[in-house]
Amino acid sequence: MTGLGTLWQVALREITERARSKAYLITTGLTILIILGLIILPDLFGGGTTERKVGSVGGGNEAIISTAVELGNAGDDPEDPPSIALETVPFDDRETAIAGLESGEVDAVLVDGEEIVVESVGGFAGSSFVDGLQRAAGTVQIQAVVREEGETASNIIEILASDPLEITTLSRGDPEESESRTIVAYFGLLLLYLAVLLYGTWILTGVTEEKSNRVVEVLLSSIRPWQILGGKILGIGTLALAQFLGTIIVALVALRVTGAFDLPPIEIGAVLILLLWFVIGFLIFAVLFGAAGSLVSRMEDANTIAMPMSMTAVVGFFVSITALNDPDGIVATVFTFIPLTAPFVVPVRSALEAIPVWQFLVAIVISIAALVLFTVLAGRIYSGGLLRYGSRVRLREAWRSAAG
Amino acid sequence: MLGFLGPNGAGKTTAMRTVFRLINPDSGSVTWDENPITADDLLRCGYMPEQRGLYPKMRAGDQLAYLGRLHGMSKTEAHGSAETWLERFGLRERIDDPVESLSHGNQQRVQLAAALVHDPDLLVLDEPFSGLDPIAVETMSEVLLEQAAAGKAVVFSSHQLDLVEDICEYVAIINAGTIVLEGRVQTLKDSAPIRHLEVEVDGDPSALVELLEGVQTTQMNGERLTAIINATTDVRGFIARAQEASNLRHFTYTTPSLSDLFREAVR
Repeated sequence: MTGLGTLWQVALREITERARSKAYLITTGLTILIILGLIILPDLFGGGTTERKVGSVGGGNEAIISTAVELGNAGDDPEDPPSIALETVPFDDRETAIAGLESGEVDAVLVDGEEIVVESVGGFAGSSFVDGLQRAAGTVQIQAVVREEGETASNIIEILASDPLEITTLSRGDPEESESRTIVAYFGLLLLYLAVLLYGTWILTGVTEEKSNRVVEVLLSSIRPWQILGGKILGIGTLALAQFLGTIIVALVALRVTGAFDLPPIEIGAVLILLLWFVIGFLIFAVLFGAAGSLVSRMEDANTIAMPMSMTAVVGFFVSITALNDPDGIVATVFTFIPLTAPFVVPVRSALEAIPVWQFLVAIVISIAALVLFTVLAGRIYSGGLLRYGSRVRLREAWRSAAG
Repeated sequence: MLGFLGPNGAGKTTAMRTVFRLINPDSGSVTWDENPITADDLLRCGYMPEQRGLYPKMRAGDQLAYLGRLHGMSKTEAHGSAETWLERFGLRERIDDPVESLSHGNQQRVQLAAALVHDPDLLVLDEPFSGLDPIAVETMSEVLLEQAAAGKAVVFSSHQLDLVEDICEYVAIINAGTIVLEGRVQTLKDSAPIRHLEVEVDGDPSALVELLEGVQTTQMNGERLTAIINATTDVRGFIARAQEASNLRHFTYTTPSLSDLFREAVR
């Protein structure tokens, strides 16, 4: 059998054995349940009152606001608190209103019943809020048309099909696209973070387990260390991907069924960039976890030794959360060039279109170079650490005894 | 079939691991058919490490089939062979049980099956008999004899010298990393410069030692004297002298046992 064929055999074993294990089935089930819960529960229980402040400039806004409240609360159980409450804050002119929007005094500004100004359409709550006002404006127009002129139905359809309010965002970019990008960035970040912690740990404990129950000696008598580690990473990576794809599909179906939240069209480019970084990020952490696992003989020691990696993932995650709000700030820029945090930060910055092309390319080069370097180093530490039992193997010791 | 012997710490396990490239030798080389051993050759070898190692939660059958596949067998071959070997060890009905649910002896059988599953040309077994009950020992030695009869090379280490003497054609004894004695068991025994002597008399046998020439070691157990003596010793003369001194109830004079050779070699 070829070297890669053997590697595939190892991966296949990981997949079949783990897919059959209770742990995998339970985590998959739990993840899906949690996602379903997050989507369905707010829909079932109403989720309380959404309160927003709307700045008003000029005339024609009151009708839209009151209609938006009426529409938003239509179908509410009278015993429950209303779904939506809007407070009107009058402004003298557009400039002061926008200043108020920027300072956070109001969430949106309506101008003359024709334009709506928001900070961005990127937030999750933002979109349904703007949609609500949009629908309200349409309704107001229809009411006016029907009342005054009794015109033909075609006019009404025209109104229904259009967006009566012109949307202006203060942040750059096409509002629809920027929203979709934020979603991709946010979910991508979350997925990578979970994948690194959850499946990285699997690789870690899997390696330690093979070492502690001495299977590794039997394996090493016929196959090479890189085939064992590579197969393990490939197998667990495949399972991770399968679990996440399953979760995403369930989430999409649930969203469609409940209509809890309208998904804007997701851009393929953004998804591909995300996938690229997901793979790079997962691999970097996977080889490091694998090497760490080979240094200890007992499961109890495994988590301790992986602490530096787990902490780095946590740092990467929180830096990226910062980057979501300030994607071209100094923190986000610095962490772009660190291989262990780049997979978290770069997809976020690139999704928000806040990364210069050169930084993106440099980050890719640095990360791939680091991946290659880590693979070589980790591979050697792994093969050196595997057959040394007892207390924690020192890095230098593992390096020296590696079958070079 | 080669019995690979040596006191604890002599380097048996290290030598075996070196064969499988688990350890890089400081010097020397591993050869197979007079050529340095290759990765492909190693796929034709089966290894049973001293520290037994199997995936505890994996089913016995799957486990064996997996190892077969790692050695280049097709899926059908691997599963077929796994089943055959479990059958051979009387574990056919445990094929879908996780290894951890098997008893120690049965796990050891599975471990041997793991070394055999890909029908290797060379079997290297590190203490395959340790911790087995007499019946398991019998099955195990039967299988090893079968393999040897089928033309396979079998190397195993053991401290059960009587067993080794029974089933091995060749032995190699190492001490502190060096071979101190090797060859065909029968030849080694015949050509040994020592003989094994056992005498039993009425009363204390210690006086007999005085009558014996060329004594290497002696051991007293009740009325029995066991001695290792030079092969050149005049035994007939000793018998005559011993009979004069007391009533000789039992007398054996043989080539040395493997244990005798072993003790002599590593002394």
